[in-house]
Amino acid sequence: MSTTLRSEEMILNVGPQHPSTHGVFRLVVTLDGEQIVDADPVVGYLHRGTEKLAEGLQYTQIIPYTDRLDYIAAMLNNYALVHTVEHALDLEIPARAEHLRILVMELNRIASHLLFLGTYLLDLGAMSPFLYVFQERERIVQLFNEISGARLTYNYMRVGGVKWDAPPGWIEKVREFVPFMREKVKMYDKLISGNEIFLHRVRGIGVITQEDALQYSLSGINLRSTGIRFDLRKNRTYSIYDQFDFDMVTAENGDCYDRYYIHLEEIRQALNIVEQAAAQIPDGPVLGKVPKLIRIPAGEYYTSIEGARGELGVYIVSDGKDKPYRLKFRRPSFVNLQILRKMLIGQSMANLIAILGAVNIVLGEVDA
Amino acid sequence: MFGFLKGLSVTFGQMTKKKLTLQYPEVKPEWPERFRGIHQFIPEHCIVCNQCARICPTSCISLSGNRDENKKMHIDTYDINFEICILCDLCTEVCPTEAILMTDQFELATYSRDELYKDIHWLYENHVKHGNYQQLQAAKVQAAKEAEEKAKAAETEKATVEASTAGSDKGGDA
Repeated sequence: MSTTLRSEEMILNVGPQHPSTHGVFRLVVTLDGEQIVDADPVVGYLHRGTEKLAEGLQYTQIIPYTDRLDYIAAMLNNYALVHTVEHALDLEIPARAEHLRILVMELNRIASHLLFLGTYLLDLGAMSPFLYVFQERERIVQLFNEISGARLTYNYMRVGGVKWDAPPGWIEKVREFVPFMREKVKMYDKLISGNEIFLHRVRGIGVITQEDALQYSLSGINLRSTGIRFDLRKNRTYSIYDQFDFDMVTAENGDCYDRYYIHLEEIRQALNIVEQAAAQIPDGPVLGKVPKLIRIPAGEYYTSIEGARGELGVYIVSDGKDKPYRLKFRRPSFVNLQILRKMLIGQSMANLIAILGAVNIVLGEVDA
Repeated sequence: MFGFLKGLSVTFGQMTKKKLTLQYPEVKPEWPERFRGIHQFIPEHCIVCNQCARICPTSCISLSGNRDENKKMHIDTYDINFEICILCDLCTEVCPTEAILMTDQFELATYSRDELYKDIHWLYENHVKHGNYQQLQAAKVQAAKEAEEKAKAAETEKATVEASTAGSDKGGDA
């Protein structure tokens, strides 16, 4: 007679309506007691067919659709598209436009990372950091509202430059924001990083090894948390990032704590870039010489940028018309999500949310 | 061990701060000049060039016009379907005569989907009738009135001072 108790496995649906999945995302988990035996992510609830829609639109018309992919870092999405079109057309961008782009992109990266800190802590059961981050994020959103006229879906970049020059006093406001935000990052460090409850919850949880990270082609903070030094702003410099002095932040353990800490550090580095860009911004036009009807010569073009979540790439196949023949977004959230199953198997059910939250996905981008 | 106490000090520091919440339905937010709210359409400016309808990524604008005896185009109908409009601002960007503008009105909730089809009249009156335009105008009028009163008060004060000094002079003479 066997002495072990035979137990049955249970299938549990986490989502699609679950506050900690940050959108409509379903995770079918097979449980043996509290242990996760299998996990199967189901995506597509927010699928809008952006790539297919883009085939019927001119390049300028696609820009507002990119706002709605990763909707908490829309400036970076804007840039990813116009950067590829500019690369295909071999355009020259005025220096002021490039500086404005860097400013808004890095501010948007800060806003995105702030939202990660808030929602991750909220997932783990801490309410107040979530409310704190929205105060600082509100200031960034107000800045974006002043420069682009919208709080979330900016539609600010154009092929060859930006839509508007900064309104009077805007650059000064950005300059004032930098020391303010530095103080706040210190405050977050004090508030969260030393908290034992938080540390017990995230240290050594959801570890990714370097081999796994490379095999699953992770990028962004998920990759850097394993110790691999790969940041497209440094490794494959685009725009004018080579003019600025900032560090690439990496960690060694590849666990959830490292991913949290790199987010905090990257806010500091982004502030360095913002400070330098705001100090040396030149005068001049904000839109280069662009043909009225943008036609890309036939061929295939791919460029990628360091998005808030990883390598954000745009692949355009053109047949010489004013609309793309095929447009493909390499969405970092979607690619990073693939490792979730491997990370979850063998963990306890209580760690599921901690691990999913640290991968930092945005469902608008996963489902496109 | 007591790392969380450091965090608690931040929490206590937060208690004395001012509240940031805006009492929204009663108090409306003030938007910057570039804010992309719901459109306003000015029929007199429109030359029926159709550029806004062509650039619209969601094709939510439909318009029609006719030619008068002087061969000038006039707009007849202009409808925007706000069910699919994404407020991307491309229509105002391409408009050569600034016939279509964006206002600070942002509230679009209705009881039925049909009400989201807005016609030329609604779009013309949008800026004045809805949003916080009237509040702002009232505030402006109020501010102007106050400034005027202040100026008047200063003037009368000056006059009284002059009168009193004149009076004292007179008194001195007498």
